[in-house]
Amino acid sequence: MPIDYLPILILVIVALLFAALALLVPALLGPRKPTAIKFSTYESGKIPFGTTGRRFPVKYYLTAVLFILFDIEVIFLYPWAVVFKALKLFGLIEMGVFVLILLVGYFYVWRKGALEWD
Amino acid sequence: MNISSLNLTAIAPQIIIIITALVVLLAELFTGRKSLLAYLSLLGIIVAAIASWYIWNGTEQRLFAVPMFQTMAVADGYSLFLNLVFLVTAALSVLASINYLVRERINHGEYYALLLLATGGMMLMGSATDLMTVFLALEILSISLYVLAGFNRADLKSGESALKYFLLGAFASGFLLYGIALIYGATGTTNLAAIVDFLKGTGPMRGTYLFIGLGLLLVGFSFKIALVPFHMWTPDVYEGAPTSVTAFMSVGAKAAGFAALGRLLLYAFPTLLGDWVWALAVLSVLTMTLGNLTALAQTNVKRMLAYSSIAHAGYILIGLIAANEAGMAGVLFYLLAYAFMNVGAFAVVIAVGREGEPNLELSDYAGLGSRQPLLAAAMAVFMFSLAGVPPLAGFFGKLYIFSAAVQAGFVALAIIGVLNSVVSAFFYLRVIVYMYMQKPIVEARPVLAPPLALAIALAVLGTIGLGLLPTPFLTLAQQSIAMLFGA
Amino acid sequence: MGRKTIFFSNLREAGKPEQTETGKLMDWIANLLIPLIKSLILVIGLLVGFAYMTWAERKLCARFQLRYGPNRAGPFGLLQPVADAFKAIFKEEAIFGQVHSKVIYVIAPGISLAAALLAFAVVPVGPTINSFQVFGFQVPDISLHLAADVNIGVLYLFAIAGLGTYGIVLGGWSSNNKYSLLGALRTTAQLISYELPMGLAIVSVLLLSESLSLVKIVEKQAVLPFVVLQPVAALIYLICGLAETNRSPFDLPETENELVSGFATEYGGIKFAVFFMAEYINMIVVSAVTATLFLGGWQWPAFLADLHPLIAVGLFFVKTAFVLFLFVWIRASLPRVRYDKLMKFCWKFLFPLALVNLAVTAVVVALLPG
Repeated sequence: MPIDYLPILILVIVALLFAALALLVPALLGPRKPTAIKFSTYESGKIPFGTTGRRFPVKYYLTAVLFILFDIEVIFLYPWAVVFKALKLFGLIEMGVFVLILLVGYFYVWRKGALEWD
Repeated sequence: MNISSLNLTAIAPQIIIIITALVVLLAELFTGRKSLLAYLSLLGIIVAAIASWYIWNGTEQRLFAVPMFQTMAVADGYSLFLNLVFLVTAALSVLASINYLVRERINHGEYYALLLLATGGMMLMGSATDLMTVFLALEILSISLYVLAGFNRADLKSGESALKYFLLGAFASGFLLYGIALIYGATGTTNLAAIVDFLKGTGPMRGTYLFIGLGLLLVGFSFKIALVPFHMWTPDVYEGAPTSVTAFMSVGAKAAGFAALGRLLLYAFPTLLGDWVWALAVLSVLTMTLGNLTALAQTNVKRMLAYSSIAHAGYILIGLIAANEAGMAGVLFYLLAYAFMNVGAFAVVIAVGREGEPNLELSDYAGLGSRQPLLAAAMAVFMFSLAGVPPLAGFFGKLYIFSAAVQAGFVALAIIGVLNSVVSAFFYLRVIVYMYMQKPIVEARPVLAPPLALAIALAVLGTIGLGLLPTPFLTLAQQSIAMLFGA
Repeated sequence: MGRKTIFFSNLREAGKPEQTETGKLMDWIANLLIPLIKSLILVIGLLVGFAYMTWAERKLCARFQLRYGPNRAGPFGLLQPVADAFKAIFKEEAIFGQVHSKVIYVIAPGISLAAALLAFAVVPVGPTINSFQVFGFQVPDISLHLAADVNIGVLYLFAIAGLGTYGIVLGGWSSNNKYSLLGALRTTAQLISYELPMGLAIVSVLLLSESLSLVKIVEKQAVLPFVVLQPVAALIYLICGLAETNRSPFDLPETENELVSGFATEYGGIKFAVFFMAEYINMIVVSAVTATLFLGGWQWPAFLADLHPLIAVGLFFVKTAFVLFLFVWIRASLPRVRYDKLMKFCWKFLFPLALVNLAVTAVVVALLPG
């Protein structure tokens, strides 16, 4: 029932308000003594060089793509698990086929070295 | 609910192809000899063909429609005939790929797995009886093809091809999905049979949503089968992709698009015939004319074939527009003929090419008649057939389609089609002129690897065979479309 | 009566007899005011929990390492969190570094905190306290949780847990600092990777509970907590819980010695404290969910839970505290793992293990009659 979610909506509002308050109120209370050194980017005490807008390892993208793939599998499992007892063997076989196809992909990814981090 | 209610035997050819793809993918991890994978793929294709044949013969009368997956798909004559088209295309492409991949240094086993997955998607398109299945099949097919188009990673053109195909393909999928959503909104179902019932119930339905939905659906399919003015991606994609992939997708993806479109328009939306037929007629005329005129200006054979494939989509569309049994049978016949002649033509392009494919220009074909007479003869057969010269397969395909159009009263359309064939003869015959009447610039004889030679030989055989003995195949096509027209 | 009123009264149970004006007013109070009060209690409760969690952790860690821990502010250092809070609030408020986007930099900790606070909404704390009389005044039924009977509770938890990542990633990116960016990237990869086995572990529980509602899951455990039936899933969930909350030994997003606090390098004062808060509240949530999914929540052991609702609530808190103690214990005992090993462990061990566990559970459930 939608009414069940009303408390959650109220909590969302309260939580957001609280987070905003926690971040904004101390801004009025603290002292302000800005200096150039204090506000420079921290890089172990050295003068920062270069930018952060550089290329970073493709591994991270790969992990993200793999995550999307397998997370969808997991999400499909949720409704299946809830009605599993009604489906019995049929559900087991159907989901078995689905997971097996994904396992082929998992195995492939493993053998191709996409899960290595070095 | 139990397993037998899904009726998996009816979907067996598709399952066999997909399983083969997975096995190939796994085998790739353990074997260094990638040609083994090609033969494994061929085995799967042959088994799938046998399974299709078995299902075809399995029922007494040919009027069988075995629904499976709770009416999400069906195994009827239409889908089984199309299975034949797709399997022929896949088999010829695999044969043509084996040595090509080695030459281009892209010999990875994933190629065959992707090709088989795409084939599975195509076959599913032919048997889909639910808009969701159509979409699903289309995505299986398209995503595999996006990757295949960019398979030559080191080649910039291949990358460009993949990216263009992906972006426009995704765009087209968006149109399609939006169309499906609107049709669902108008009719309350995505199932084709249920849509038929709904349209019967409402009589001549004039819902705005339905029209917009159908329009978007047509736009989506037009992208996929490259109808003018939704064809912009085609030449670049076909030119940039590895040639074996171009061969496969120029036939397979197109045939799959026509398969789904044919079932949709003739089975689910015949009541709206008066509305979509004119839109398609305009598209058809534009497609034929623009495809042929642009092909005239090409000096690159691969690009020329790309434009020619656009033009052929226009011809095939005439069969759909005729919307009668003769037209649809013509479409199926044409698709089969096109599979042989177009894949064959690309196979010759592969044979003439060298590593990196620098020699795809017309001038590279100069004197091929003296350098490699058999290859030149094969190319001549394909060119004649594509131009529609009797007694080759392409001629009968056009004959059936144009006569069906005349039957249905689209005389002007048929005339435009014939005129276009005449125009197209110019650039097809130009290749032959170069091969036989020009002095060779290079003396090198193209080397024919056995599998490639086999692919070309089979394609020649098919092209000539369909031309000399068209009747059994036409009968087969006529039997297979009975379902569409509710006979 | 405005349209909103109609909307809300339509949401209420259909088929109720026509109500008087005061009855409608009472409904309004029931629908809005009570959740509001509960929300406030929840938020304040979690904050107090956070504050004393930091104290408990420092105290426990100190004892593990044969030190005293905080013992100056108040008896046993109990006022230490208060002192820390005042320190954070009165710190200089500034934006350090040349940030990419001031707005994102400022709201990033807020996102983390809000997400952490939201997760607790569906956790069942205890049974409904039946209507009773105080000084002749009839107190109505009080259900102790905010919205625990939401029928997609587990999915909600999963979704909110995913939201917290945004705070860290946006904070790390907007800081325009190399350490922060690396920390943010590592966090993303780590959090999304560990979500997979975590999700699979929960699916194993769902196979037994047949419901996504956490209340139903708790009720199913009245006889036997799921940790007995699903020890592997419980272990996987706990490990992933450690990783999801960036806790030691999986605290790579904020490694002090190589990334200088990672995503939080450029954060100071209250903003840093808010990130800190989010992390600890997440920890409390994970512990509470572990108690709910695997340790029987407030229901088990039933003979104790049935005595009085408050005892049931006490059971729930004891279990949560136990899991929290495990968190601290693990932190004090185990060294940090290397990043490649962390990812390998997840993808090559936990994920297949969770799948196998799920498969075994499914087969057993399918074959067992009834």
